[in-house]
Amino acid sequence: MTWLFDNEYDDEGFRRCGVTGLDVHRSVENHAKLFGLTAVVALLFGGIFAFTVAMTRWEVIGLLPAEDFYIHLSLHAWNLLIFWMIFTEIAILYVGGPMVLGRKLPFTSLAKIGWGTMVAGAVAVNYSIITTSAPDEAPLLTSYAPLPSSPLFYAGVIVFLLGTTIAALPFFVTLWRERKRRTGSLPLVTFGAFVTSIIAVEAILGGLVTFSYALAWRLELIATIDAALYRQLYWIVGHGSQQINLVAMITVWYFLTHVVGGAEIVSEKVSRTAFILYLFFINMGAAHHLLSDPAVTTGWRIFNTSYAFYGATFASLIHAFAIPAGIEAGRRKRGKGGGLFGWLTSAPWKNPVFSSVVFSIILFGFLGGITGVLMGQLQLNMAWHNTLATVGHFHATVVLGTTVAFMGLLYFLIRTMFMRRLAFPRLAAAQPYFYAGTMSIATLMLMYVGILYGVPRRTSEVVENIPGTEFSLAAAAPLFSVFGIFALLAVLGGVLFLVIALASLIVGERIESPEDNADLLPDGGAHGTAIDAVDEDDPVHAYEMRGTFVLCLVFMATFVVAYVLNWYLLSQLWSIGA
Amino acid sequence: MGSPLKPPDGNWWNQPINRRESIWLGLGAVWSMILFGWMSIWTREGDQNPIGRTYRVTEEEFREKIEAYKEAADETDDGIVPPGDEVYIAGLRYGWDGLPVVLEAGREYDLHLGAYDVQHGFSVRPEETLSKQINLQILPGYEWVVPMTFDEPGTYQVICNEFCGVGHRSMHGTFVVEEGDG
Repeated sequence: MTWLFDNEYDDEGFRRCGVTGLDVHRSVENHAKLFGLTAVVALLFGGIFAFTVAMTRWEVIGLLPAEDFYIHLSLHAWNLLIFWMIFTEIAILYVGGPMVLGRKLPFTSLAKIGWGTMVAGAVAVNYSIITTSAPDEAPLLTSYAPLPSSPLFYAGVIVFLLGTTIAALPFFVTLWRERKRRTGSLPLVTFGAFVTSIIAVEAILGGLVTFSYALAWRLELIATIDAALYRQLYWIVGHGSQQINLVAMITVWYFLTHVVGGAEIVSEKVSRTAFILYLFFINMGAAHHLLSDPAVTTGWRIFNTSYAFYGATFASLIHAFAIPAGIEAGRRKRGKGGGLFGWLTSAPWKNPVFSSVVFSIILFGFLGGITGVLMGQLQLNMAWHNTLATVGHFHATVVLGTTVAFMGLLYFLIRTMFMRRLAFPRLAAAQPYFYAGTMSIATLMLMYVGILYGVPRRTSEVVENIPGTEFSLAAAAPLFSVFGIFALLAVLGGVLFLVIALASLIVGERIESPEDNADLLPDGGAHGTAIDAVDEDDPVHAYEMRGTFVLCLVFMATFVVAYVLNWYLLSQLWSIGA
Repeated sequence: MGSPLKPPDGNWWNQPINRRESIWLGLGAVWSMILFGWMSIWTREGDQNPIGRTYRVTEEEFREKIEAYKEAADETDDGIVPPGDEVYIAGLRYGWDGLPVVLEAGREYDLHLGAYDVQHGFSVRPEETLSKQINLQILPGYEWVVPMTFDEPGTYQVICNEFCGVGHRSMHGTFVVEEGDG
């Protein structure tokens, strides 16, 4: 494997990246690669179960019997939602911290110990799921007590969380030293990575408490476990981990739209304020999972689900403008933006890094963000809770949003850190279109069957047959056929990514000189040159942002229409509640 | 301003904000308030709210309550006819104790929802109109009293939509809602 870690560095261990202009130290680069490669292994493993789970839910195929289905579903959830994401996010911390700051990675032994501990935890979780036997049930993602899971499962999660903490320490040390070394603000990407890491700490603390509580109960150290308390604790990590994905993804959006799209920050004040709002409010979103629960008060639910008066939703609306506006203003400044949308039509759409990131931004917003707010309304939640519409929502956020962005990031790392050309370049250029397109349709079908037919999540059969009754949700069958076909195509799109990524790493042509990567740069221009210099007479905020404004108005109109439709559907129900 | 990879220069806090970005911030703030306000108003003015009284109850206590309720109720071929406005339903692996139950349309009942063993999902829809459906989480150790008025007669199908074990998919029951007197 050493051929993956053999870039040339100067005597101090640094090299100048020809694309980003960053001074990259060997220690940062190699550890970021290690975590990135591990993430791809988790993506590969978890992706196998995307196929088996989807082909079971498409009951025309009905691939797996119930007892296998829940195990496959658990493996799908843990490997993709947790391991693929978190391993990538540690790499993002190393890139956003020491790499952007041009420092070495301190305490590399901690990074390695953290990595080993995370791998051990992940292997233990997978092993415990595969070997589930009575009285234990497959944990799915949540392991809702008092349904028992294997003690090894709880222990494995705890080990993984501890490993994550250890792996993040070198990042925190980097920031601590940077603070002592100089005054002034951190670069925005570093700032975003820092906010991500704080939210991660909150999530991890919640997770350690939750799984320790469950493990103590499972080992009969304590006699009973409170289902409501478990849920409240669990969602600190269950939802918190997804907020790590969100904030890491937005950091990647700022990073890559700049590097490959020529975006600039149109207002440091506004973008940083949005990150700060996340820091304070986003974790309250854990309440979204408790809206249809008996044990929390109405006031608690309304305050928390709204992130205290929609503080975090407001933050997301800010990024929704700031990032495309950065592309628009940045490209207009480069002379690439005639008319309303010239900045978009002239963008590097054949570069899979750019197209991945832009699809991630659009699809996360339109499909993931809007549905998240809808199902996060106290009353609308009754129509979404535990249906496949919920599953549609989080496939829009973590697949169309985070996974697509991280695929773009990995393409970028293959080019600029592993220094390989992409194998099958035409296929690579098409992959984001194919994957994002097919996955979007599969995701929309999940939402439709959930909301319009009340199809539940987490069950192996319900459309063709419910054992023991004549009743079934057969009316949803046609939409399920659309889902099944597009889920298959989306899995194929995921396979394409893995084939391209692995082939590039193994047989990809080596990049020898900076010119070989010139096509990654926006419009062939180099970073670190005059165009990047701050020109007081030519501030980026003064450039037109009307294209972005129009796009954002379209987004807001979609949001309002979806909101009204959902409330209309709810108001048609019989009278429920006090 | 400029690169997210470099520390911002000078007094970046006081840099002006583009006019269109300012307008968008205003729109976002207004929309946030509408989202909060509507949800809040609906708890007072709306007819669909996941709100009820909650009591701590052990699994044994809840079983005893349901036994007492069933003794007081009429058992018919269609299901249990409750003695009053109180209706008791418990989720268990893998069925619903207290279902099927025969109710009158247009009459408000207090549904007492609980569980004997693990968490369950209480998912209800009229057989004929699947898009009308509500879903509530049911927890062992908690009795949730949720008022409900079925406005249309018909069969309302209940399925469990929280994973409760390998037999989860077979867990179902019905409300038989008949034409009311009034």
